[in-house]
Amino acid sequence: MEKKFLTLLSLCLFILSIMLGGCTTMENKTVSTAKKYPEKPITLIVPVGVGGGMDSVARLLEKAAPAQLGQPLVIINKPGGAGTIAWNDLASATPDGYTLGMSGVEVILQTLYGPTKYHYPTALQPLAQISTLSMVMAIKGDQPWETLEDLNQYAKQHPGQIKFGHVGVGSISHVAGETFAKSSNIHLEQVPFQSPAAAVASLLGGHVQTIFINPTSVKEHLKNGTIRTLAVASEQRLTDPDFTNTPTFKELGFDVIGSNWYEVSAPKDLPIEVTYKLSEGFKKIINDPEFKKDIEKLGLQVTYLGPKESQEKWLMANQKLTKTVQETGILDTIKAQRK
Amino acid sequence: MDILNMLLQGFAISLIPTNLLACIIGILIGTLVGVLPGVDTVSAIALLLPFSYGMASTPALIMFAGIYYGSKYGGSTTSILINVPGEPASVVTCLDGYPMGQKGRAGAALTVSAIGSFIAGTIGLIGLTLLAPPLAQAALAFGPPEYFSFALVGLIFLSKLTGTSALKSALMASIGVMLSTIGLDSLSGISRFTFGMDELDRGFNLSILAMGFFGIGEVITTMTNVKSKPKIPSVKLQDLYPTKEEWQRSTVPMFRGGIVGFLVGLLPGPASTLSSFISYRLEKRCSNNPDEFGHGAIEGVAGPEAANNSAISATMIPLLSLGLPFCGATAIFLSAFMIHGITPGPSLIVQHPELFWGLIASMYVGNVLLLIINLPLIGIFVQMLKTPLNILMPLVAVVTLTGAYYINNSIFDLMWVILFGFLGFLLQRVGFEPSPLLIGLVLGPELEWGLTQGLIISNGSIWSLITRPLAGTILALGAIVVLYNIICFTINNSKKETNY
Repeated sequence: MEKKFLTLLSLCLFILSIMLGGCTTMENKTVSTAKKYPEKPITLIVPVGVGGGMDSVARLLEKAAPAQLGQPLVIINKPGGAGTIAWNDLASATPDGYTLGMSGVEVILQTLYGPTKYHYPTALQPLAQISTLSMVMAIKGDQPWETLEDLNQYAKQHPGQIKFGHVGVGSISHVAGETFAKSSNIHLEQVPFQSPAAAVASLLGGHVQTIFINPTSVKEHLKNGTIRTLAVASEQRLTDPDFTNTPTFKELGFDVIGSNWYEVSAPKDLPIEVTYKLSEGFKKIINDPEFKKDIEKLGLQVTYLGPKESQEKWLMANQKLTKTVQETGILDTIKAQRK
Repeated sequence: MDILNMLLQGFAISLIPTNLLACIIGILIGTLVGVLPGVDTVSAIALLLPFSYGMASTPALIMFAGIYYGSKYGGSTTSILINVPGEPASVVTCLDGYPMGQKGRAGAALTVSAIGSFIAGTIGLIGLTLLAPPLAQAALAFGPPEYFSFALVGLIFLSKLTGTSALKSALMASIGVMLSTIGLDSLSGISRFTFGMDELDRGFNLSILAMGFFGIGEVITTMTNVKSKPKIPSVKLQDLYPTKEEWQRSTVPMFRGGIVGFLVGLLPGPASTLSSFISYRLEKRCSNNPDEFGHGAIEGVAGPEAANNSAISATMIPLLSLGLPFCGATAIFLSAFMIHGITPGPSLIVQHPELFWGLIASMYVGNVLLLIINLPLIGIFVQMLKTPLNILMPLVAVVTLTGAYYINNSIFDLMWVILFGFLGFLLQRVGFEPSPLLIGLVLGPELEWGLTQGLIISNGSIWSLITRPLAGTILALGAIVVLYNIICFTINNSKKETNY
């Protein structure tokens, strides 16, 4: 009996101590003066799981941080909820500069689809944009279509036969695909996939005819000829040598713009001095030649924007995407499913 | 011959001291990652990425590969010793590994699992060496309808993993599938059944449930049984290694597991976990004494532990030859490649032959080293069982809870581990086995994605699932087995009736 009691007691104590240990870090937020900032490591919340583009970019920032920010970055992955779990944490964190987060176009998109816990475009503030990823429209290498026009003709003659893959309803790849379908007046059935890899695999296996996807996911196959890109959803052609031959939708006469981006954000109302120190620090990191080289290894290009320009970009994107998700019917689809 | 030549060159590269050292560091970390519950390959590689920036690409990738396959060696350790799976792929090892440990055969179970891992790892590597590009192409023929059929048939086969009542198992499997729908649906972007709790958006994690059901559940069971003083199994030196009979019983399952694991590993999804479940079910079906399964059958350790290792080699195939990561661990591995300036894909073998073959050769070397490192460790691990229960069990609880917290850095998850611990305890009391529920949880998303995508691709026609050659074949095989079982069941029943 005594033994049983002891076992129980020690077990309870252990559980309790673990939980309390977990709680202290959450409640004990020290308010430090902005002048001495940064005095301790800075947390960087990453809204995706380990691996993949955004996570890799965050890890490159981690590599460069100690030299340029004066403190290390500590990466915490909070995947799920299309980023909302991470951004809820970020928006509710004390704006002292010790909690930052990675963000992208989803901060705009998610708030358009329905009430999120915070209105991210106003609850967060961008510090620096690192890179942009404009969606490309890709087909399997051995398909007969040489140009976007060929595919368009085929789709018009064979309604319902062309299906496009994307990486999740409401994601920017879905938005780009639907915008194209609408502007070219053809009906494209959409197939959501759980990851870029699954979408590419389905394209290579011939299960879908085309996909809208970020350039990095198809780059190697493009070089190899197993995948071809028909168009890119950006204002100008991509500067990446592998994609300079891919025309923009605009050149071909379609108004399709769909870009994701990687940036660092903070909760709103950072002290001005902290904002200044951080944005200058990230500017140095991002414009460092070595960082640029590292980013290129990931198949990305550095497109730096400062806090002001990024904020403007959010406003522009918000306006444009609000219109797009309504016009393409994506908003209605999502609202109908949510009921 | 060409391949053999290249492989030999690969060996020359992998045996360069720096590369060999990287390999040893990798497999040591991997073993540790496997042994510690909650610390998975993905987070371990992520944690070590910054340390690799200064390394050349070949040793860095050799090290990461070492962590990846090394972790599957260590995963079974805690399953066998304390009923806490160290890795999701070792969940099924709890079913027979832990009972073996209770009977004083922990040493045998650990040995068989290490040797099975070695044999299957090597089988997988041979497949990877010889057949990577054609197999990668073949795997692409599997589209959404095929995944759906595969998941459906898998669910039917696997739900009767343990226990005696088919009804209870089916019930648990269905609950597992239902649980898998909780959270943000990655296809439609909609939160389902979360009752407004943000943390639920992430859905239930297999490891969290398994840790609750097995780890915490076991702690609670032990607590309620303290009166009947459990005898601490005394382990003599000769008990550390399998008996002749145990060897005979586990040889075939190791090879079978190796092949099954390899095939499953080619497909997207949680391959190593799934392959261990499938291998377990297969061994139970092939065994002469299926009743022993769940009470310490050595085949139930040998097969699955082999399968999850060859699955690892197979998951490298789509990654290396197509650049497609089909599971979380290969996704971070892909990041590691890219950060070191190498993009896996169709042209990897041509562009970086020294890296490709060096990496593969290092995996052969690593497998041998893992065996050499792991066998002596068994003696030490088994000593752990001598710890009195009132010290061991709180430690188990701490290890489990720490591991569970580490998965998502979430206090919320700790609540679930404890809750599922109590639930697991209660369910076992009333004769429900938790493992079919875990299978439902693993296969649920595959089932749903396959069906949704498959139906869109076929313009909404459910018949296309049957008329597609591959999907149809899988479904037909499943139907035949189900029919066969029903017929056997009716014949057996009518026999019983005539007996009365």
